[in-house]
Amino acid sequence: MITGAALPLDGTGGCPGGDPADRPRHDARDKATGAFRYAADLPCPGAWHVTLVRCPHPGARILGIDPAAALAAPGVRAVLTAADLPAERAGRRVRDQPLLAGEVALYSGEPVAAVLADTRREAEAAAALVEVSYEPLEAVFDPVVALDAASPLVHDSPWTYPGAVIGPGDGPNLQSVVTDGDPDRVSRALARAAHVVTATYRTPAGHQGYLEPQAWTAWPDGGCVRLRGTTKSPYRLREQVAATLGLEPADIDVEPVALGGDFGGKGSVVDPILCAAIARAVDHPVQLVLRSSEDLTATDARHPSVITVSLACDDDARLVALDFDAVFDGGAYASAKPVPSVNLHGAAEAALGYRFGCFALRSRVAYTHTVPKGHMRAPGAPQTVFAIESAMDELAVRAGVEPAELRRRNLLRSGEEDAYGHVWPDARGIDVLDAALSGAELGGSDLPPGWSAGRGVAFYCRPTPAPPATALALSRLPDGRFEVGVPVPETGTGSHSLVGQQMAAALGTDPANVEVRQLPTSALGFDPGVGASRVTAGMTAAVERLAAAWRDRPPGTDSLRIDVPAGDDGPALTCCAQVAHVAVDPGTGQIRLLELVSAVDVAEVLRRRSHQMQIDGGAVMGIGFARFEDLLEDGGQVWGSTLGEFKLPVAADLPRLRTVTVVGGKGVGPANIKAVGELTNVPAAAAVANAVADAVGVRLRDLPLSAEAVYWRLHPPGRDGR
Amino acid sequence: MVAIRLSLNGEETCVDAPVTASLLEVLREGGLTGTKEGCRIGVCGLCSVLVDGLPVSSCLLLAPCAEGREVWTVEGLAAARPDLADRFAAVEAMQCGICTPGQVVMAAAAQEAGAGEPDAGYLDGNLCRCTGYSTILEALRGSGRADG
Repeated sequence: MITGAALPLDGTGGCPGGDPADRPRHDARDKATGAFRYAADLPCPGAWHVTLVRCPHPGARILGIDPAAALAAPGVRAVLTAADLPAERAGRRVRDQPLLAGEVALYSGEPVAAVLADTRREAEAAAALVEVSYEPLEAVFDPVVALDAASPLVHDSPWTYPGAVIGPGDGPNLQSVVTDGDPDRVSRALARAAHVVTATYRTPAGHQGYLEPQAWTAWPDGGCVRLRGTTKSPYRLREQVAATLGLEPADIDVEPVALGGDFGGKGSVVDPILCAAIARAVDHPVQLVLRSSEDLTATDARHPSVITVSLACDDDARLVALDFDAVFDGGAYASAKPVPSVNLHGAAEAALGYRFGCFALRSRVAYTHTVPKGHMRAPGAPQTVFAIESAMDELAVRAGVEPAELRRRNLLRSGEEDAYGHVWPDARGIDVLDAALSGAELGGSDLPPGWSAGRGVAFYCRPTPAPPATALALSRLPDGRFEVGVPVPETGTGSHSLVGQQMAAALGTDPANVEVRQLPTSALGFDPGVGASRVTAGMTAAVERLAAAWRDRPPGTDSLRIDVPAGDDGPALTCCAQVAHVAVDPGTGQIRLLELVSAVDVAEVLRRRSHQMQIDGGAVMGIGFARFEDLLEDGGQVWGSTLGEFKLPVAADLPRLRTVTVVGGKGVGPANIKAVGELTNVPAAAAVANAVADAVGVRLRDLPLSAEAVYWRLHPPGRDGR
Repeated sequence: MVAIRLSLNGEETCVDAPVTASLLEVLREGGLTGTKEGCRIGVCGLCSVLVDGLPVSSCLLLAPCAEGREVWTVEGLAAARPDLADRFAAVEAMQCGICTPGQVVMAAAAQEAGAGEPDAGYLDGNLCRCTGYSTILEALRGSGRADG
């Protein structure tokens, strides 16, 4: 029985340490000795500590705030409320969130006051003494209900917020809607199809689960402000701070720090803008370090989803129609969503990968009185793929065809046009699917007596975008070594080590002679930050350009800064297929995941260890989504408010992990990249759900997949006396 | 405030701390920031230290309870047993690295427990969100004591 640990990796992408060119990352030793410093480890002498007073109600009118007792407490310097700060709202795209709630607070956890004290201990003690009187409001928590005309409005006129993408006629409580395809054609195709499945799938709120709490320090500096902390996109943050505080981007310097995990969560902007505003209001440096439970309950959780899919095929198992209708719970503010659509790309790309015949797509994000939802590793894709890849298996059963064969018959081939009209020169879905199936070697030998075995497969593909515009600097140090200045924070993926390795190769020097340093926003041109799996392609393209400029530099130049335009060789389609083997106990419903095989579409691999850890870490995150992770939102409260209740996978939870890399793909940029960061976390949930259905005939359409759900389906209440 | 006398990373030390302070707070406020704050309820493993040779979540230990005891943090362990940190660095048993100090402390605890191949169960109480654990387990497997 495999219950203890992951086994060594095999396949062409495994065997870390086998490649002599793949040196350990430059920060490895400092990270292992504790010398490496994160935002909360850096000194900020004299800064006042900020503790936020948070509304306990999911929607409440604030009748009054009495700071007297808090102000009298030891060490307290100030208590600020909305009246003390700029009235302009904050957000990444839609600026709809106040820095502190003024008349009303819209979710449980929303900050209503800030206590500033000499020490963190004093600030926390005093925060408990701030008296706030509330009048709870009628609230709505279910995103589907929220879209109903009879529901209470979260915002009276959300279309008036800067950046809003909806209008007054679009219906109540809508953050955004994306539609695509041809609904009339889909209706006709569904009506005459040989086999049709229609089903609704649900996923709960989750969290990125980074382990380093978010942390910010802000220094006022004349009319300007300097910020240091946990952001994955410092240049965008600079613009967002400027927009809310009425400053120019050049008035703000953001000094990024290496992150203790991100996965999308460290793009949230309200806390850093709040810190900047507080520092300016009191004209003193301030520091805000969240507690882990604040991250879980009051930052930018993953969107819960309710997705209804209709999928149809003909007698030959050729798909003829997809109807995809998603409702996401966006929470009380749209502030944490960064993309122009204010929607989730995973949902907008629901019809990617297969020849669906025809498709219709609608993705709505609803306002509710819950914590604002943000982006997490392939935003919208885990939810979307869980729905579509589960429906694919349900359709296969109905059509009497093997699930893998249904996929094989309908996956896009190279040179074919997808549902959106894009032609993919390198569409290797079938190869990747077959690689995953051939990599699955586990037989029935691990099966406990009485348990049933099952196998499930699922597929995902996404575009790797062309290299983005970015900036980079190179200088020769007095000792003859080089320093590369990069705009992107190191989130942990090893991107800085990669830059050093690539630059050393381009300059013809040893990697030990190249230092990599993250520069503040005042030192470089614009970079879009970490996201959309674009860092490796962007940084490697920038390194090539900068190395060429360095070779042609005027005599006597010892430092260069360049702005790099966006590339045009992309996107490339990147595929991933996963096969899950499970054992299920029909007596108790218990599910054991025995093995997860990930087949990954690869062009060039630049750092094998980093690449493999992105695959493994993604797969384990996918397992967490499938089996455990649930913030337990109920009644507007996040009950999974600690890492004890919000369960992340530990080593003991792991199945045998296998990787098969399908080499030879055509990627983007001069380094020929297919991104890997947002792949293996996506299909795993459907693969496991499909395996459970294969094992005991129970189709679970809600995540996480639980023993209780299997049990009650196999032993319906009332049938045997219960 | 109370005065707490303890052996910290091999040195006899005296610190003043509020009676309600955790050992984690005292260590970090004293500049030993290698010990990270995570969940604060003893489930994530980020703040692991050795107390009298046993692994402890320093967020859950009141600092005055460390009186008279021998405490080792990642900084001290890395200096005293450089092979351990070297091993984690060599197999690159980290990505973001925020959990790595706690993992190194647990590998040291597994070494303390006996000779030979360390028990992988020593890592079951340490969360890692990045790596998928394979390289961390690899680092642990190679960290056994040969001398018994």
